[in-house]
Amino acid sequence: MSEPEIKPDIMRMSWGPQHPMSGQTRILLDVDGEKVHRIIADLGFTHRGIEKTLENRTFFQGIIPIERMVMADTANIGLGYITAIEESLGIEVPERANWIRSLLCEMGRINSHLYAFGLQAEATGYFPAVFLWTTTDRTVLLKLFEELTGARWSYNFSLPGGVYKDLPEGFEAKVIEGVHYLRRRFEDYWTAMVENAVFEARCDNVAVLKPEDAIRLGATGPVLRGSGVALDVRKDEPYAAYADLDFDVITEPACDVMARTKVRFKEIGQSLRIMEQIANEVPGGPVRTRVPLIPRSKPGEVLSRVETARGEMDVHMFTDGGSNPYRVKIGSPTLRNMYVFERLAELDEVLMADIPVVINSIDPWYLDSDR
Amino acid sequence: MTMISGLMLWRLVVTCVYLPTELIGKWISDMINWGLDLLFHLPAYTVEFLALNSKPLLQVLILPGLAFVLVFAIIAVWFERKFLARAMLRVGPYYCGKKSGVLQVFADFLKLFMKEIIVPEGIDFLFFAAMPILVSTVPAMALILIPFDQNWVLWDIGSLSMPMFFAIAGLAPLIPIFAGWAANNKYTFIGAFRVAYMYISAEIPLVLCGAAVAIMAGSFDLLKIVEAQKSMWFAVPQFVGFVIFFLGVIIEAERTPFDIPVAEVELVLGWRTEYSGILFGFTMMAEYVLFQAWSLLFITLYLGGFNGPNIFGNITLSHIFWLLVKFVILVVLIILIRCVFPRLRLDQMLKLGWRYMTPLAVINLALVLVMKLGGIY
Repeated sequence: MSEPEIKPDIMRMSWGPQHPMSGQTRILLDVDGEKVHRIIADLGFTHRGIEKTLENRTFFQGIIPIERMVMADTANIGLGYITAIEESLGIEVPERANWIRSLLCEMGRINSHLYAFGLQAEATGYFPAVFLWTTTDRTVLLKLFEELTGARWSYNFSLPGGVYKDLPEGFEAKVIEGVHYLRRRFEDYWTAMVENAVFEARCDNVAVLKPEDAIRLGATGPVLRGSGVALDVRKDEPYAAYADLDFDVITEPACDVMARTKVRFKEIGQSLRIMEQIANEVPGGPVRTRVPLIPRSKPGEVLSRVETARGEMDVHMFTDGGSNPYRVKIGSPTLRNMYVFERLAELDEVLMADIPVVINSIDPWYLDSDR
Repeated sequence: MTMISGLMLWRLVVTCVYLPTELIGKWISDMINWGLDLLFHLPAYTVEFLALNSKPLLQVLILPGLAFVLVFAIIAVWFERKFLARAMLRVGPYYCGKKSGVLQVFADFLKLFMKEIIVPEGIDFLFFAAMPILVSTVPAMALILIPFDQNWVLWDIGSLSMPMFFAIAGLAPLIPIFAGWAANNKYTFIGAFRVAYMYISAEIPLVLCGAAVAIMAGSFDLLKIVEAQKSMWFAVPQFVGFVIFFLGVIIEAERTPFDIPVAEVELVLGWRTEYSGILFGFTMMAEYVLFQAWSLLFITLYLGGFNGPNIFGNITLSHIFWLLVKFVILVVLIILIRCVFPRLRLDQMLKLGWRYMTPLAVINLALVLVMKLGGIY
């Protein structure tokens, strides 16, 4: 990347990729003392060519690389690709499979948001207590994943035509038990984070993103809903079983970092509600329809949208009649939110110390933005 | 004439050459005698020296001195790691030292000692390397003023002791500023200026609070301040000052929520970024030494200093015991704060310092004056 010119009297600091909080990207900051004048995100450090890889795999083989995009949220990411395949090949999915997919997606969403809280607490300078609490509580979900899918991470469970296996015996009761446990724990997180005076001081009125700016810049997910815009693919274009499930789209009017954090908090509440509904009301029937292992597609293009934990993910798939997709274009939520992040210093006053807080408020996953 | 002048010349030569030779010879023989004397009587002299100076030596080496500083740093690091680990649902250091992990601190120190000191390019190495050593030794100097008992003050300078404490401890923030500048790095540079901002906003209310205490006690002498608190601790009549000074102690020791100059999520490690190996170890130790010096002053000014019931039969021993008990309780409290609060931003901290702490310290001073003039206290 050619670096933009620096104005006089401005210092350019490199925040990453070897910085303790930056993850795997490099962000250039033009600072004048503590005030940040400009943010330049230098993405692409973890580019792995997943889109190109998908062209060389059959439809089934492609599920494995695409789940590597966001390890904390593999259920949602994988479902985006799988619904695209199903649309392209015209495969019907049994109802029970759709419900199980929704269950898996909501568990994945909680898993991912828990990670986001931990990092957000760490970014404000919390000694890693909250990060370790969330990590510990994630094991409840990971155990459920393990029992359902056989893997704690990256479970290639949803397949074109349904899900791999039916729910194990007595799984519904365990889900409800886990939901009760997590509800109890979330009261602790709410006290430790949202109601903590210093945390409030760090997050209130920081990096305000007005609704019109959020829409203009193409924000998505909790960032958009934190600006008060109720947009959720699960409601607008229901996929899986979301049309039959009862949940609210969470919005917060405050538009700041705290609003985005609160949106994640409340979304977890909705996810727990969905998990409970699914555990109580999951319909019976088969979980899988027969699909040939190497299906032949019809020429054409499809677009599938799913709501991942970080926002809307689009899979735009072109097929030419072969056993592989001709081209897969993935619109990733982190990349969209990174554009917003770059503009935040112009929209609102951002200080040097706010940078880790602000970047974690968009919940970045650089493997997702770089693909 | 010639004979006389020749004789005089001879006398002159003899005087100029012989006399100094004789003097030097005498001096050398004296030195040898003295050296032999010292050699043969060294044990006796040592015993005599120790007998005459046993208390100051004990003070320098053990209580406010070397052993106290080192042992406190070791125990505090170990306790902090274990204690915070519990808050995080972890166990903490476990293997080194029979499952309590107490030897982990020594192991870490040894590791730091063995590590290479990486020096950034194009800097003044001596200046760069001197700063971590100074930053841990200068605040330790302030400890010599703290009274542990009427008879246990290492440097008793009467009514100058409190101003001297502020003078010595006031030197401490200069060193991180130099260190941050010396490392020639953007992170250390910003960290250094954060130190400057933070200490200026914190030290003015601290000095004002100290002045209020001195007015109430009627003296700047730390010993007299402690004696004035025999009936009631100054924390009660000067509650505002007590709270301000408590915050000030946390700010001066750069501890959470005021560890702004070393905020690792934005500045890597602030002014300490470029230090490695044992130099980094010194900067870590500085945090605890500052913490120790300011907490002891805080106890002396507000929590009755060494006052306490005589439980050991020996008044000096009991006084030292009570001061250490108060110190330990304060340390645990300040470490506890670390696991429940995130870090404040610099502008918020400055707002706290200038907009709340300084005016409240002035009000506290005024209240003390009213109490003193009204004869209530």
